[in-house]
Amino acid sequence: MNARRVLAIALKTLRSLRHDKRTAGFLVFMPLFMIAIFGYTFGGEIENVDVVVVNLDVGSANGSVADMIIGDLASRVTLRLTALSSPDEAVEAVRLTDAWAAIYFGPEFTEQVEEGIAVSALGLFAVPSVVELHLDASNPNIAQTVVTELQASIQVVLVEHYDMNPPVAVVEDRVYGEGAEFIDFFAPGVMGLAAMMVTFMLSIISFVRERSTGTLDRLLTTPVTEGEIVGGYAMAFGIVALIQSTVILVAAMLLFKVTVEGSALLALLTIFLLGVGSQGLGFLLSSIAKNEFQAVQFIPLILFPSILLAGVFWPLEAVPDILRPVSNFIPLTYAVDGCRSIMVRGWGAGDVWPQLAVLAGFAAATLMLSAYSLKKRG
Amino acid sequence: MNDRSSDLKGVRLDSQEDAGRHVVRTRGISKAFGAIEALVDLDLDIPKGCVYGIIGPNGSGKTTTIRILNGLLRASSGQAWLLGEAVPVSESIHRIGYMPQEMAIYSDLTAVENLELFAGMYSMRRERFEERADYLLDMIDLKDRGGSLVSELSGGMKHRLSLACALVHDPELVFLDEPTVGVDPELRNGFWEHFSRLKAEGKTIVLTTHYMDEAVRCDMVGMMRLGRMIAEDTPEELMASTGALNLEEAFLQRSRRVEQ
Repeated sequence: MNARRVLAIALKTLRSLRHDKRTAGFLVFMPLFMIAIFGYTFGGEIENVDVVVVNLDVGSANGSVADMIIGDLASRVTLRLTALSSPDEAVEAVRLTDAWAAIYFGPEFTEQVEEGIAVSALGLFAVPSVVELHLDASNPNIAQTVVTELQASIQVVLVEHYDMNPPVAVVEDRVYGEGAEFIDFFAPGVMGLAAMMVTFMLSIISFVRERSTGTLDRLLTTPVTEGEIVGGYAMAFGIVALIQSTVILVAAMLLFKVTVEGSALLALLTIFLLGVGSQGLGFLLSSIAKNEFQAVQFIPLILFPSILLAGVFWPLEAVPDILRPVSNFIPLTYAVDGCRSIMVRGWGAGDVWPQLAVLAGFAAATLMLSAYSLKKRG
Repeated sequence: MNDRSSDLKGVRLDSQEDAGRHVVRTRGISKAFGAIEALVDLDLDIPKGCVYGIIGPNGSGKTTTIRILNGLLRASSGQAWLLGEAVPVSESIHRIGYMPQEMAIYSDLTAVENLELFAGMYSMRRERFEERADYLLDMIDLKDRGGSLVSELSGGMKHRLSLACALVHDPELVFLDEPTVGVDPELRNGFWEHFSRLKAEGKTIVLTTHYMDEAVRCDMVGMMRLGRMIAEDTPEELMASTGALNLEEAFLQRSRRVEQ
């Protein structure tokens, strides 16, 4: 390894990017664009969700449980309630997207609740009382919010008035991330995804071009070694990944008040390793691709599983069992998990070393294989 | 010339003694790509200071020969030496230049940045590089376009820059694979002036071409056909021995003779 030659390769590669204004702009604005989109979509606390309520509950001697639940819901700003008189009308309102959800309490609601509580107090199986909830789930976050709000109110009312838990209750236990907003979860995922996408795409295209224009052959007839070429590229694209994730991190902190519980540097190191590994992967696949167009085919092949199965947007627990082994093979899974643990849970290097080790191994393996693939001559 | 060509056909010198005189030397190199014999049993002895032209139609093995010599391909059998060192060379790599058939320069870098990259590959010092870059940009008549992106240069300018990149480290031995293909006659003439200048500096040039009018300007010509060297001599001798009026005719006559 000759440091001067590695630097020369790195310098040349960064210079190419600088001259290509569109690509350079893309490198900076793509991550900004991504964090903005995801941030605005998922970042804010949800408020004033239009919900229609149909309350036909006649109540009992103790009053109406439905009234109390609605009163509790109305005491907060998350849902904006509108009363309607018929269930059909309410469902229609959701169908016409005038409301995100319709909540319906039947005439015997209070009666059923009191019955259920009496039965379960005897240790017998209680038939749950029914609150109908008609949801527009096209926005999963809003849907989730409505469900959460309603369940919370039901629980509050029942516990307050009957000192009992309702028959169906969702108990969520968060060890970490108490009070964390969606953006806190998304920022690490977006950082990892952006770094992976860009380094992979730049690398596969750059190397296909190096091969097709003959520049790679020309380099190989000079004293530069295969390892130096691969090392220079890794350095350049690692720097690109670092700049990108810094942009995302700073934007997330300034625009969306994302807090980093752990070390931001450690998070950036995680992304750096992912970037270097992804460029190595791009390099390896470029040796299979004959031209830019073929190279482009690899992009969705690599990106889609990563986007869907690496836990960026959906938790790994939401990945179907049959695909879980795939998740374990995707480097992004470890980067997102590691980064999220650092940024949201506040973990340190001592806690995330397994993820870092996997990423370092991924980077080392792709770089060595890349250098080896260059060494192999016909 | 004549004693050199008799030397080619006569006694083989051992490689130690040979190194000083023959900067390129091959013994029985062959290369097969699957069932295709791209190169068959090639012997070459190219003396120092010679402009050696490998001529022949497409697919005759010219590029395969160059790529084996500069280490991009491994010969299936046989051995080659450059500057006295067995191929693939390591020590001598600093003294060898190569201009591939494709333009093989970075279109997203400027002319000077391209030169700088290749200078970097040879670990050239800053001052030495600047001196060389000045000299080369002057030589290829791109002095005022050094800061231009290659993608903004004309085809001829790119060709000249590609040549300059092969020469940036002042190599003693230069391989030029079809350096003038697709180049207009005026520019080709300019290229040959550069070659003469290099020769005058004692450099050895090995080039491939299928322009016969260009081959005439070489000191020595090797005619290749279907992976085999069918004739090798000075252009004058090749014409005289076949009674041909030009090299093209000489080549065709030799080809026919091989077929019989």
